[in-house]
Amino acid sequence: GTGRVLLGHGSGGKLYRDLVRDVFLTAFSNPLLDRLDDAVALAPTGRIAFTTDSHVVQPLIFPGGDIGRLAVAGTVNDLATAAARPLALAAAFIIEEGFAFDELEAICASMAATAVEAGVPIVTGDTKVVERGACDGVYVTTTGVGEIVIDHELGAQAVCDGDAVILSGGVGDHAVAVLAARGDFHFSADVRSDCAPLWGLVEATVGAVRDVTSPVSSAIADAAGGAEALRFLRDPTRGGLTTVLAELAEEAKLGIEVEEAAIPVSPAVRSVCDLLGYDPLTLANEGKMVLVVAPEAADTVVAALRAQPLGRDAAQVGVVTAAHPGRVALRTMFGTRRVLDMPVGELLPRIC
Amino acid sequence: SVAASPAALRRLADDLFVEARAAAARRGTPDLTFMEVCGTHTMAIARYGLRDLLPPEVRLISGPGCPVCVTAMGDLDRVIALARLPAVTLTTFGDLIRVPASRSSLAAERAAGADVRVVYSARDAVEIAAAEPGRQVVFAGIGFETTAPTVAAALLEARTRGVANFSVLGLHKTMPLPLKALLELGETEIAGFLLPGHVSVVTGSAGYQFLARDFGVGGVVAGFEAHDVLRALLSLVRQATPAIEIEYARAVRPEGNLVAQGLLARVMEPCDADWRGLGVIPGSGLRLRGEFAALDAERRFAIHAGEPLEPAGCRCGEVLRGVLDPAECALFGARCTPEDPVGACMVSSEGACAARYRYRGLDD
Amino acid sequence: MCLALPMRITMIDGQLATIVADGLEQRASIVLVPDADIGDYVLVHAGYAISVIDEDEANETYGLLAELAEAAAWEDSRGRRPETGGRLDRDGTQEDA
Repeated sequence: GTGRVLLGHGSGGKLYRDLVRDVFLTAFSNPLLDRLDDAVALAPTGRIAFTTDSHVVQPLIFPGGDIGRLAVAGTVNDLATAAARPLALAAAFIIEEGFAFDELEAICASMAATAVEAGVPIVTGDTKVVERGACDGVYVTTTGVGEIVIDHELGAQAVCDGDAVILSGGVGDHAVAVLAARGDFHFSADVRSDCAPLWGLVEATVGAVRDVTSPVSSAIADAAGGAEALRFLRDPTRGGLTTVLAELAEEAKLGIEVEEAAIPVSPAVRSVCDLLGYDPLTLANEGKMVLVVAPEAADTVVAALRAQPLGRDAAQVGVVTAAHPGRVALRTMFGTRRVLDMPVGELLPRIC
Repeated sequence: SVAASPAALRRLADDLFVEARAAAARRGTPDLTFMEVCGTHTMAIARYGLRDLLPPEVRLISGPGCPVCVTAMGDLDRVIALARLPAVTLTTFGDLIRVPASRSSLAAERAAGADVRVVYSARDAVEIAAAEPGRQVVFAGIGFETTAPTVAAALLEARTRGVANFSVLGLHKTMPLPLKALLELGETEIAGFLLPGHVSVVTGSAGYQFLARDFGVGGVVAGFEAHDVLRALLSLVRQATPAIEIEYARAVRPEGNLVAQGLLARVMEPCDADWRGLGVIPGSGLRLRGEFAALDAERRFAIHAGEPLEPAGCRCGEVLRGVLDPAECALFGARCTPEDPVGACMVSSEGACAARYRYRGLDD
Repeated sequence: MCLALPMRITMIDGQLATIVADGLEQRASIVLVPDADIGDYVLVHAGYAISVIDEDEANETYGLLAELAEAAAWEDSRGRRPETGGRLDRDGTQEDA
């Protein structure tokens, strides 16, 4: 539609109902949402995973994604790290007075498309409108409920010496795409955000590990029987791969050895990192997964990932070790080693 | 630029291994202490894990070449004081944002409401000033002879375009003199210098001749790829008589970039500069010439910064002089960490303390 | 002390040039390298080109490195390698000291 969001649209009256009906219902319509109840009844059968995420990205639209796609994918991916099939999402909007309707509709269309891609309905939500200047266009907070499809507990405590560390694809694309779109540093880069919902990828991996029936050593069969071969899953968003691995090493009280040559980094991402003094391994990703699996299941998992479009560049990038517990060591392209330490502050271009 | 293959690097490392042992024997010292002056070299050595390739006879220490680490507390406080002025938009490279001044940092000031913006280039600061005539846009001019000409060019552009609300706080420093100061202190046995690559792109290599001529210490201007560093160390080890050489010949000419030198000289002139850990070194800084007084933040604003407060127990000064290994500092790794830095050498991602902290534990 | 990236000039517009590296494009000032031309590689620092890269020197460096790699490979095949203190065995993986 034309026109702009008014303060009145946030005040619960007729304008509010029009906004909900004309924008949100049109984009997200499904039996549960259409009832427009304040709360929705769900009837999950298995164990539940529950998460929430707020999104304040600037600019709102960038190559490969937008705040809408990010809001859905981010929450779906958090649920996926618990091996949970997304059941339902809630989306709460904070909109700045004067925000253009057509932009809001475009964001909602993108959210709806991503939700369909992930096979999850948006069943409830809320909208507030704030005075002009009190927020930057629109902020979206999404909350998700998922049904866990495995029986064992994932997490750092499940990780063992010798486990394989697998990455579902290249790093740094999201951060560079947003940085280029923001234009602070006046460069354009041949990069698109990797923003995408990853439940399908994780579901395929769990299936592959569970169905390992090839005449492999019984170790795999036992380990994979209940998918216990899958130890740990996490999406490397802000702070990047390095932060995920550094936190895992600390929590698991184990060391991790990573091969720099095995980690895909696109030429454009590498050029931008050289230009501004960034380390690609600490850049944010919005469509990648780090998986730690039993060594016997590593090849199975990489193959399962590569069979999916979102996992075509998947690779084993390292291994868990009992050596140097709590520390992550990177073997460089030259066979030398250096420490991977968590980045400290915000990402800033440096001259030195 | 093409990175060397692992095999080529291995070959360089093998040669260095053999020849360093011979050189140490020739000098009659157990090992050779080389100083890598430039912070970007410190980062490259850490990033490529080059310490793994060095023979036991070669010890690399970090020198006063990181623009953040060498900025004296008093200068940092003046940047903070400027950022606090309501009319001022303080623009800076990212390097300065987290550096602890006496009582604050730019990050803390921004959180408290100061208009502090990170720019990639001094030109961007001029654009901000042109776009926001109501603001007093000040650029914190840190960096050595590589960066100073870019700030000088931005000043010339601002003057030509009549961007009257732009000014620079000139904190630039020049390279050869602190090396002279270091050698005159004679505290540490420096067998040779890995000389800064990109400063030398501008200055050329002539300015370092005094190192070999007057102090008998050789130096090699090095690039920033892993093979550049190893080739430069090999050249140092092979020097029978101390000399100044250029390994980074693809970018550095002996005479340097004369246009950049000329443009810099038009806008800035040498002055005394206060270096953290080295104190005031006459003629080692750059300030804006009188002709550019109108664009000099020093003269445009009354800057009240108060007494500088060095953090108790911080020994960054000795680290910068290469006489103290960061791990020997009492604050290192406990009170002073990358998350909660006390000294500038821990804040800068390539400060000697930050690089040393990242290596703790893996091989200790 | 100064990060700089080699980039190639693709267009010149007064004192500004369009420069590219692998998948990256930016505009930088060439006021410090007035005789740089389209097709030249320049070192870019903080938005300014500070030097034109000497192609011959660059090729010479990379030629030397290629020779070193061949020499290393040849010596490997002859099993003659000076002792490197066990830091690096032949295929670049590190022996655990």
